[in-house]
Amino acid sequence: MHSNDAGKSGVVNEGNIFNSARVRKLVKLRMWRNRYIYLMILPVLIYFILFKYLPMWFLRTAFYDYKLLKGFDGSKYVGFKYFIRLFTNPNLMNYIGNTLILNFSALIFLFPAPLIFAILLNELRNNRFMKFVQTVSYLPHFVSTVVLVSMITTLISPSYGSLAALAKALGQTPLNYLSIPEYFVPINVVSGFWQAVGWEAVIYVATLAGIDHGLYEAARIDGANRWQQTLHVTLPGLANTFVLLLIMQIGRLLSINFEKVYLLQNTLNLSASEMLPTFVYKTGMESHNYGYATAAGLFNSVCSVILVLIANTVSSKVSDTSLF
Amino acid sequence: MAQAVTAVKKPKRKKGGDFIRRSRGEKIFSAFNLLIMILLLCFFLYPLLNMLSISCSNEYAVLRAEVTFYPIGFNPQAYNMILASEDIWRSVGNSTFVVVVGCVSSLIMLSMAAYPLAFAKFYGKKVYTSIILFTMWFSGGIIPTFLTIMKLGLYDTLWSLIFNSMISAYYVVIVRSYFASIPISVVESARIDGANDFKILFKLILPLSKPVLATVALWVIVGHWNDYLNALLFISSKKNYTLQLVLKELTLNAESSTYNISMTSSSTTGGAAALGQQVRNAVLVVAMIPMCILYPFVQRYFVSGIMLGSVKG
Repeated sequence: MHSNDAGKSGVVNEGNIFNSARVRKLVKLRMWRNRYIYLMILPVLIYFILFKYLPMWFLRTAFYDYKLLKGFDGSKYVGFKYFIRLFTNPNLMNYIGNTLILNFSALIFLFPAPLIFAILLNELRNNRFMKFVQTVSYLPHFVSTVVLVSMITTLISPSYGSLAALAKALGQTPLNYLSIPEYFVPINVVSGFWQAVGWEAVIYVATLAGIDHGLYEAARIDGANRWQQTLHVTLPGLANTFVLLLIMQIGRLLSINFEKVYLLQNTLNLSASEMLPTFVYKTGMESHNYGYATAAGLFNSVCSVILVLIANTVSSKVSDTSLF
Repeated sequence: MAQAVTAVKKPKRKKGGDFIRRSRGEKIFSAFNLLIMILLLCFFLYPLLNMLSISCSNEYAVLRAEVTFYPIGFNPQAYNMILASEDIWRSVGNSTFVVVVGCVSSLIMLSMAAYPLAFAKFYGKKVYTSIILFTMWFSGGIIPTFLTIMKLGLYDTLWSLIFNSMISAYYVVIVRSYFASIPISVVESARIDGANDFKILFKLILPLSKPVLATVALWVIVGHWNDYLNALLFISSKKNYTLQLVLKELTLNAESSTYNISMTSSSTTGGAAALGQQVRNAVLVVAMIPMCILYPFVQRYFVSGIMLGSVKG
């Protein structure tokens, strides 16, 4: 309405609606009315610029021989030197392989687990027991990664760990599983299961509780047994949540897990545990080669964004669920 | 939105009633299911009970790997040592500071970020939204973040930890979707009464938003208390160490000697080694206490909070 009026008068007065004094006045009025909103946004914007976008600006470190004390002006511009070094690094395929194996093994084994756990939980007859199991199951979520890794090392310690005692009882020699590369992936998956399954099941349990009870009754009247009810009522009810969570999980794929893998790493299992993010950390923070580390980190971020886009496209083709 | 929150409660099943006829297969399944659940229960609890038991058992029982899920020969010496350690107390103080200041500032900034998205029409709203949402999908990464903290002069201060995770786009989306469930007429009538937006937000909207604030507060608190990566990146001097950094050094590097937790009180070297195990586990128990205290209080909020997060992705 307003812009229409302003447009007419603009044409008459100056021939250009955007120069119309009236429009400018209206814009000013509207901005003045929202002055507190702009005041509210201001600290948020400053925060985002300083702590979220300034790091992105620092991504150009990848093109410099960056010296901490000298800044960009004092550091030498080296072009694509570090990217070339990264892509010709003979270990790169090993790092990428480990990144993919560690993340996808966790995804394949751990992603359906909360769904199955939630369905089983829902099938329990006793409500109080169900609540109890669920409450216990998400307690591990509150355990920090440092505590988790300490617990792992205690449990599988060959001299005093419970696992060693179990192995001895079964007549086997206890091994130090953390120093054997082949065991790294299973340790990562099992500990991930312990920590995440209960927490991630919460959302499925809540969705299950929201499924219309009448659907089950209708299915029962039609003669469906419990398995058929699960297959035709429960699973379709969870499908959307499942896909949505899957996309989000894939988006986080290459960035999660750093803390745990870094803390579980030792020189003996490095061949299975060195992945891109840990390589980035070591190159930057331990060898102080910021340029090289940033280049490798940028490569990792770009891969992760591509993964999100692929996941999102596939899911919007296959189902109607997508994030954007 | 409010409906989604209340729908979370599981409808009570009628006892018997619905399930008069149960086939044999269903009975077998139920028994099998119960067995799986009991096994899972043991699996979830065992590492925690083991940790707790080792921390207060007799050192020789620990050394012989006899301690499983209950303490053998009660010995609280490890706890006495920890409570006497100044470094651990200081790191607990540092972590508490980060948690308290971080949580309060996060909540204020998050509500200020979300309010304009939910209740206002203004020029630049689209740009503002994209600026926030873009950071959900792309970030500078650890090295550029470290360089930024250096540049801003926050390196080796506790403020680096507070600022670095003060606003997360994901939480903004969650708070905004909760705000959006509040009728806009509430805001409009307050505006007509002459209240400015800050007053509306802090006096009117926030008291109505307790569930989402509690949920986000929980996430922020747990995040800060358990955070290791950022502390590793931004903190260098011992006096600023947070609890997780001290835990890491104590339990994974076995550097207990530098923390004045002397083991000379034990008569034999074997005893000293085992006591080291007890100290390790006792420290872990101490680190988990605040989370365990928080846990029952927060339970009733967090399911609804997770649902909030899932609705808007």
